[in-house]
Amino acid sequence: MEDDSLQKVAISGPILASLIQRFSSSSGAVDGLLFGHVSDVTPLSLSDDSSSSTDTQPSLRVATVTGFLCSGSTNSFYDSLGRVDSQSLNRLLDRHQSDGQAQAQPHDSLLGWFSGRRRTQLRPSMREYLVSSSLSSMKQLSFPVKDAVNPTNLIPSVFLLLTSPLSDQIIHTHEYRAFQFRSSNEFFEPKSIDIVNIGPAFRGHYGSFIPNSPFPHLLCEMRASPMNEDKNDDNLNMMKQNSKYQKQMNVCAEGFDVGNLTRLLGSEAANYTAGLEDLYEKMLAKTESLARLVEESSAQVLEQENHNRKLRYKVARYPGFE
Amino acid sequence: MSSDTVPPIIAAHINYLLNHFPLPVKIEHMWSGSRHYPGIMDRFTLVMPYCLEFVKWDIMYNAESPFSAPDIVFGPEDENFHPFSSKVDEGEGDHNSLHNSLRDWNSKDPSRLTSLLQELRDRYVSYQRKRVEGVDDERLKFELCTMLSREGIEMHLSSGVEKPEEVKFAVPLVDININKMIPGCPWRHPQKIFLQVLYPVVRKYATTPSAPRLKLVSTSELKALLSIEDIKLPTWIDGMCMAEYLPHLEESLEKQVLEAVSLIDVRRGFIEALNSFFGRPLEADPVFCRTATVITASGVFTFLVHILISTQFPKKQPSLVLQSSQHFNSQGAPIKSQLITDYPWSPRWEPLQMAERIFEFLADEALSFKRYCNEAQLQC
Repeated sequence: MEDDSLQKVAISGPILASLIQRFSSSSGAVDGLLFGHVSDVTPLSLSDDSSSSTDTQPSLRVATVTGFLCSGSTNSFYDSLGRVDSQSLNRLLDRHQSDGQAQAQPHDSLLGWFSGRRRTQLRPSMREYLVSSSLSSMKQLSFPVKDAVNPTNLIPSVFLLLTSPLSDQIIHTHEYRAFQFRSSNEFFEPKSIDIVNIGPAFRGHYGSFIPNSPFPHLLCEMRASPMNEDKNDDNLNMMKQNSKYQKQMNVCAEGFDVGNLTRLLGSEAANYTAGLEDLYEKMLAKTESLARLVEESSAQVLEQENHNRKLRYKVARYPGFE
Repeated sequence: MSSDTVPPIIAAHINYLLNHFPLPVKIEHMWSGSRHYPGIMDRFTLVMPYCLEFVKWDIMYNAESPFSAPDIVFGPEDENFHPFSSKVDEGEGDHNSLHNSLRDWNSKDPSRLTSLLQELRDRYVSYQRKRVEGVDDERLKFELCTMLSREGIEMHLSSGVEKPEEVKFAVPLVDININKMIPGCPWRHPQKIFLQVLYPVVRKYATTPSAPRLKLVSTSELKALLSIEDIKLPTWIDGMCMAEYLPHLEESLEKQVLEAVSLIDVRRGFIEALNSFFGRPLEADPVFCRTATVITASGVFTFLVHILISTQFPKKQPSLVLQSSQHFNSQGAPIKSQLITDYPWSPRWEPLQMAERIFEFLADEALSFKRYCNEAQLQC
């Protein structure tokens, strides 16, 4: 437990940008969970000077944020005293899993949480301290450090604080700071943030790149071969699921079996291009109608949100009825 | 503070706080954290007196969910102040009952914020005490042991990067209820006198400790009765400790407070004596008898006399300000004289004689004041 200190927190530019976007587009303060992995990285410093390359450099422990879940409000998984409610936390975690369409990603652990509050000091508040303290006491949430020399487990201890400046006179619009909650002596340790971007300064990251999204299932044969029939139920369930997905996919490509691709060769090819174009056109039309559906439903969601907000203010204005 | 833009629930909490908190708290700044309704104020900076200074805490409500409990950001110096964390509570079982003002927050009860802040302040007091107790300084440790029996001591460890470490104590003195001694007392908060003691922190193996810096401080409203700056502190003898120093100081202070209270009646006697020469005063301070205003005339020239009576009366004569009721400056304000403090006076006179001598002095002074007024009016 002594050596649970992180060197720094790394976050990719797009993730940070979308986090800030979620915060700044929300109507009030927000909180949410941070996901990612912690790994021990040996710093890459290639040098022509042979004398220096003999030094063994200590590895750095870096927490890399690869995803987040914004609850859209505050007190989403804790109460007013900052005690984490494991039920609501699990609900959020489930939501994240289903959002991420992947089953139990091995790289994606709960790293910690974030809080975004407009026009406040860039210092952890009383409740934020209590939440971090409560979260880091939940041993069941611990996760292994990748590439660690000695196997180590960490508990979610990262806290990212997002604020906007108190004064209107300042030209920047957002501020953020990362902390690690050290459960050994119960305090927030400020950590530097590395924003991973493309560019010469980040070449080192290619060495430690880990694809975050899982490789898609590419099952070519949908019918189980007779050889595999005795496999256990799990496998069967998965196959059923997959065949369901496949069926859905097939609807999009109705009348255009893979077998038809053979017609791309030889004499029939000329006619067939027209057919393919037709297929693409149909697919585009479907995508477009889907986009329209999404647009309509999000308009409805927005309308409902505005309505809710009005109601809330109404209630707040007349404290008599709640 | 324009209360029309503060959500009513929050406004109710704030009003209750300002009216019921046992110490004078102030709201320094209010602002909004809402995106859609930037006019709705849901956060503010609270200025809370502590150890004869102030701590500033940012109280953050959420206009989006006005029913939920507020959160607090403490000052930048208090990064390690973590009330309600489980570690602090261990061994301090008495805090658990207080825990509840946040636990089942009820936004409809306007007293909740007040009790929450009271709780937090209590915890802040013990947090600072713990910090001071942790300082490795032999003399401080000794002073702490011998002083702790006194109630209500507040302490503060200040440690800036540039400044040397210092421990500040605020020791409440004179355990008498001054408010009760004054008939018709207008003070809402109990008035107190404190001794501010500043110890530079001396680490081990240092030379002989220097004397602490001492200063008497009173609550601001007490000035009407007693000016604390005029009280001389007994000298600090090398090698002394607070437990030796305080009893003498308290004894002499107690005498001075009693004297100051009795002086109110002396001033009242003087104001009543004015009646015989100037007629009934137009205005007089009925509680502390520090001011009176009379109207008088010299021929057709009528003017007001403001009589300002110091707490040192009758040793120190009252200051007079004359105000014409016939001459006005370019802004339309009545012309006033300078503060007049130099006229015949003896503290041994009877009140009637004092009033008579002022009356006589004014008969002469009226002429030069009239001239002064005419000149001032001509100029504009």
